[in-house]
Amino acid sequence: MDPSEVEFLAEKEMVTIISNFSLDKMYLIGGDLGPFNPGLPVNVPLWLALNLKQRQKCRIVPPEWMDVEKLEEIREQERKEETFTPIPNPHYMELTKLLLNHASDNIPKADEIRTLVKDIWDTRVAKLRLSADSFISQLEAHAKLDNLTLMEINTTRTFLLDSLNSMYKLRASLQPQPAAKGHHY
Amino acid sequence: MFLTDIRKEFYDVVVNQRVALFVSSDVDALCACKILQALFHCDHVQYTLVPVTGWQDLGTAFLEHKEQFRYFVLINCGANVDLLETLQPEEDTIFFICDTHRPVDVVNVYNDTQIKLLIKQDDDLGIPAYDDIFRDEEEDAEDSGNESDSNSEPSGKRTRFDEGAVERRIERQRAKREWEARRREILFDYEQYEYHGTSSAMVIFELSWVMTKDTKDMLWWAIIGLADQWVHDKITHMKYVTDIATLQRHVSRHSHHNEDEENSLSIDCMRICFEYDLRLSLYQHWSLYESICNSCYTTSSFKLWSMHGQKKLQEFLADMGLPLKQVRQKFNSMDISIKENLRDVIEESSNKYGMKDIRIQTFSVHFGFKNKFLAGDVVHAAAALLENVEKEENPSDNFIRALDSLSRSKLDQLHCGIELAKKKLIAIQQTVASCICTNLILSQGPFLYCCLMEGTPDVKLFSKTLALTLLCKYLLKSFVRSTRNKRCKLLPLIMTAPMDVEKGTVIVLGIPPESETSDKKNFFGRAFEKAAESTGSRTLHDNFDTFVIELKTEDRSKFLDALITLLS
Repeated sequence: MDPSEVEFLAEKEMVTIISNFSLDKMYLIGGDLGPFNPGLPVNVPLWLALNLKQRQKCRIVPPEWMDVEKLEEIREQERKEETFTPIPNPHYMELTKLLLNHASDNIPKADEIRTLVKDIWDTRVAKLRLSADSFISQLEAHAKLDNLTLMEINTTRTFLLDSLNSMYKLRASLQPQPAAKGHHY
Repeated sequence: MFLTDIRKEFYDVVVNQRVALFVSSDVDALCACKILQALFHCDHVQYTLVPVTGWQDLGTAFLEHKEQFRYFVLINCGANVDLLETLQPEEDTIFFICDTHRPVDVVNVYNDTQIKLLIKQDDDLGIPAYDDIFRDEEEDAEDSGNESDSNSEPSGKRTRFDEGAVERRIERQRAKREWEARRREILFDYEQYEYHGTSSAMVIFELSWVMTKDTKDMLWWAIIGLADQWVHDKITHMKYVTDIATLQRHVSRHSHHNEDEENSLSIDCMRICFEYDLRLSLYQHWSLYESICNSCYTTSSFKLWSMHGQKKLQEFLADMGLPLKQVRQKFNSMDISIKENLRDVIEESSNKYGMKDIRIQTFSVHFGFKNKFLAGDVVHAAAALLENVEKEENPSDNFIRALDSLSRSKLDQLHCGIELAKKKLIAIQQTVASCICTNLILSQGPFLYCCLMEGTPDVKLFSKTLALTLLCKYLLKSFVRSTRNKRCKLLPLIMTAPMDVEKGTVIVLGIPPESETSDKKNFFGRAFEKAAESTGSRTLHDNFDTFVIELKTEDRSKFLDALITLLS
């Protein structure tokens, strides 16, 4: 999967916006988009929120977890634990990037949030790499990957699968074969 | 006609239509275009952008697009000429004109249906009253009706009625002749002097403000539009200061969000601040020394084309305590201790050397960690990109590159423009120095005349209007400082430079005399027209500014002689 595909999937997340126009309720295939009234908050998918923001038709309210203290706590916890800690949103990385690129004037302390989220990401991906490394080298049969987000899995997916495949082929070619017919390849 | 409510009468009309945007090639028009494009993007308005460089371009573009569009928006072109006459549009075509060129043609003012002017009705427009210029034809018909009645009277009374009718007719004809003479006079006075009005970028920014869709980007573009009018000397100092005050109100409104410590904005957000900064072009992107040597104000005050002037400059730098090594470095690498009080130090010293206005009110923008630009810097960069002669590109490509340089995401274009602007300023100063040292400026009686010959270095740069205008103004300022002849100081300047070698034409440009209280009104437009007519010279009055024309090189001398006779 391409990271841009993961980002596309992340755009389905709901965020709160405060619109400055009014529109009746819209009925789309994916769900209903509530009536828009100026000055009143409404929940919409991220793709719509970003489009409206770029057309200056709304103000985006930062999600609850996008707060300096909360993120600092999460970062400390992540650094202490060996396994992956639960994180507030399964698409935190994509949300942070999109919101901070397009709506940083609506988000207080945007620079610190960007640094904190990057720290959390770095810690988690480092743990993932360690875990993948030991998985392959020690030929473990299963690993516990709770609380991983799609974006993080995506970074290691191709590498992990390809290396496991190669290991399997190497191991398979070591064992004596009953019939000398052409195998997988 | 003038629009009173821009939002209802212009924006709400075009928001559901396809619009053709014709934009002239100057920085103010670029900025207005950017703001309008941003508004159109917000509302998904379909538009076609066509850059135009002159009347012929405008005509061809109009012919190409008249089938598909009913609504045309013209930016910085079209107000000073009878548009319906020139373009011959259909009955239902509507033109929205946002133009700084004044005087506005009277037909454009009094046409109620097809021409809508996005111009504020300031006091300084001075438009003649309707009745003084246009006369209904009905009055004549009435009287001729009376005549025919009186002719059918019985012959006995004919002599008396005939006398009465003849007297009345003579009276009417005399009144008509008087009226026409007065009309000619009024129109002559009205159209004699050309000048510029409020920046188009500011007008369109006001439109966005009225719709509460204004952003800091749009405000920055409006600031650049105003700065363009000041850099190219199109408006008076009074007007500039007044407009700066208007923009300052908008800037304070936008920046009060930054103030509290707890919710400070990201460093990437755009911050606009008012600055009372130095009048040195591009000094923050150059070294201080280079900037002083290549800015008009300092060069003409110090007379840097002479040895004496160079020595004065060294004294000036020593007086401020700035070591030469520091001053010749790139500005960003200067010592912080020197940079801190630089403006105040320079202002103090320059007062001693007779430069009272070294500082000027302007705005600067700040986004990201590296990017700080003054409004004047961006104007120079965009103008240099618009008239780039280095590569053989067509004008539309240059236009698009210049337009790109105004957006925040395309900073490499802006930096490229700044480099080109530096080269342009150096070329201008060298040309000015050589013209003054070799006495190329001759007094022809009613005006000063300077001719750039074919082989002069960088003469290709000066085949373009904006660059030649800057050169003219700097040259006149420097000349006024260098000459001892008191009469010459009050004369206007006409400059010619080779425009197109193959076609054998020169570009001729005239600017009004230099003075502190100049009202920047230029009479050369009409003068050039009359001179061209009377001598039959082959001229092309293609530019939207009528004081710039193209002339065949062979006709140059007779054209100039005609001008001398006309103006003395």
